Amino acid sequence: MELWLLGSKSALLLFIGYMLYATPHDASFRPAYMLVLLIYLCLSFGIPPMRRFKKASLALYALSAALAVYGALELHPLFLLLAVPSLYELAAGLGAVSWQTAAVLIAAAWLLPAEDRPLYALTAAMCFMLYISTNRLHARLALREEERDKLQEDARRLTRALADNEEYARQSEYTIKLEERGRLSQQIHDEVGHSMAGALIQMEAARRLLDADRTKAEELLGNAIVISKEGLERIRLTLKQTKPPAEQLGIGRLQLFVDELSAKYDIRATLNYAGDLDAITQLQWRIIQANVTEAVTNSLKYSGAESIAVEVIVFNKFVKAVVRDDGRGADKVVKGLGIVGMEERSAAEGGTIIVDGSRGFSVTTLLPVRAGS
Amino acid sequence: MNIIEIGGLTKKFGDFAAVDNMSLTLKEGEIFGFLGANGAGKSTTISMIASLLRPTKGEIKFLGKNIAKNAHFAKMNIGMVPQDLAIYEDMSAYENVRFFAGLYGFRGGELKARVEEALSFVGLGDKQKELPKNFSGGMKRRLNIACAIAHRPKLIIMDEPTVGIDPHSRNYILQSVKELNRMGCTILYTSHYMEEVEEICTRIAIVDHGKIIADGTKEQLKAIITDSKEIWIDVKSVEGLNQEQLKEIRGVLSVRIEEQRIKIQSRAEIGNLNDIVQQLIRDGMEIRAVEEQAPNLETVFLTLTGRNLRD
Repeated sequence: MELWLLGSKSALLLFIGYMLYATPHDASFRPAYMLVLLIYLCLSFGIPPMRRFKKASLALYALSAALAVYGALELHPLFLLLAVPSLYELAAGLGAVSWQTAAVLIAAAWLLPAEDRPLYALTAAMCFMLYISTNRLHARLALREEERDKLQEDARRLTRALADNEEYARQSEYTIKLEERGRLSQQIHDEVGHSMAGALIQMEAARRLLDADRTKAEELLGNAIVISKEGLERIRLTLKQTKPPAEQLGIGRLQLFVDELSAKYDIRATLNYAGDLDAITQLQWRIIQANVTEAVTNSLKYSGAESIAVEVIVFNKFVKAVVRDDGRGADKVVKGLGIVGMEERSAAEGGTIIVDGSRGFSVTTLLPVRAGS
Repeated sequence: MNIIEIGGLTKKFGDFAAVDNMSLTLKEGEIFGFLGANGAGKSTTISMIASLLRPTKGEIKFLGKNIAKNAHFAKMNIGMVPQDLAIYEDMSAYENVRFFAGLYGFRGGELKARVEEALSFVGLGDKQKELPKNFSGGMKRRLNIACAIAHRPKLIIMDEPTVGIDPHSRNYILQSVKELNRMGCTILYTSHYMEEVEEICTRIAIVDHGKIIADGTKEQLKAIITDSKEIWIDVKSVEGLNQEQLKEIRGVLSVRIEEQRIKIQSRAEIGNLNDIVQQLIRDGMEIRAVEEQAPNLETVFLTLTGRNLRD
């Protein structure tokens, strides 16, 4: 901002200098003209460094205005032009640049000789415009900078919160895993460990009694067998309770993937499913997950889409998994490594892939439902 | 016996694969339907079978012989009815058929007999002397077929033979396809009219983006989606209906009531409509309408590919 104001003052100084020397005048005044102009120049350039000290800069404004008025009264009316920017700055420093200030300054033209009035009025008006517009822009810029700082601060805060949350989620996941492991080992210890220890004691006793008391030994061995059988049954039960069903794992993992997608990227992702998900085997879930991931990666990279819809439907004889985006699509689909990979994965299970770029982009994985599954 | 065996067939135009690693067998005596939207790769496949296009990759065998190495044998035994009419407008119908049959090397009395046979087969026996430019669209299509069958091929390929013609001619063509099949021809029929394919084809392949997505009889294709159907019965009033009795009927899976409509879900392969209707009459229902909602090929296509046939 200051640079522009200094520029306008310099232009004014040059103009006055030229006018003074170009019009007929008494040569003996020349050193005085030069002196006034140079002092004014010094004052102008002296102000910016003093900006921090409000009173000092106000005094400098007043001084340069006074100098200009003195020059006008004693030497040449043109010097009055120099008072204009200084007075505006003074008014601004006092917090009162307005239409009234401009009106007063312009009205002051009537105090001048008639031939100098238009030039003075023009200068007053132009300086006002310049001052006001520079001021406004400066204020707006300052506001923007403040906003930017605030946003940056917000972004920093949110990133930190996000990192904290992620850390928290990781921690919880870890804790849950630990708890689960603890529960499992406790269960194995309580139910299986005890039976095994009991069986072992009985078997050792049986070995010692084998020669001395055969009937007793057989009885003990019988006990040991019963206990072992029960223990085995408990292991089976524990494992059965612990292992989650395939469809929960499959659709759960897919749901997690889709949710993460919405959270991480600027895209709306949805998952729909229908039909008997039990019919999808573990291996098929793996293929679906891999193909969906691949297709979604492609969509994110190339489509420019706003939303991605993932759909898993089980029909009578086949499973259909579709990833469809609403992006730019492609008239003719040229198969890259990704699509070939999806094809190969699906073909291994007797399935196929349909890639369609006519309305958005869609990748459909079709897998046959295994009979009896 | 397999009349056509296709293995790993691929046709690329630049980077774009119009036919993508397709494998397929046609047995002798079939009417094999190729069902797919425009641009699915049907015509490209057919053109390769008819030796009009050279495959980028893969092999086509006709009666066990590679067609690339036995082109003459294949061409003598394959008749092709192209999608775009291939007839000369300013030669008479007779001359048209004679010209094409002549290309296969028939001469004299045999040529004449074959031309007349072909023309009367398509119902143009009395129009032999007339010029095709005065024919209707349907008659031109029929002449197009006559040109392709005069040399009595074992395999007839028909590429959308009913596009843009009147219902009468369409019917005539569909009947002649069946007749040709009865006479021992194997037919490869492409269309995007689902009803036609459903009506005449013994086996159907659904083609999309240059691949065969599914194939089988129409019943097998429908069973891909579901093995149940819905029977909608509109009655005057459902008052007095015994739902439990209905559910006892063989094949019935569930019964729902929506105002005056009874919706019965039933196993598709069991014909129990009579039993259901009789039960309703016993319950004193006054039946207004009966409608069976079973998946058709259009639904199958839409479900598998996510698109309509006419897209």
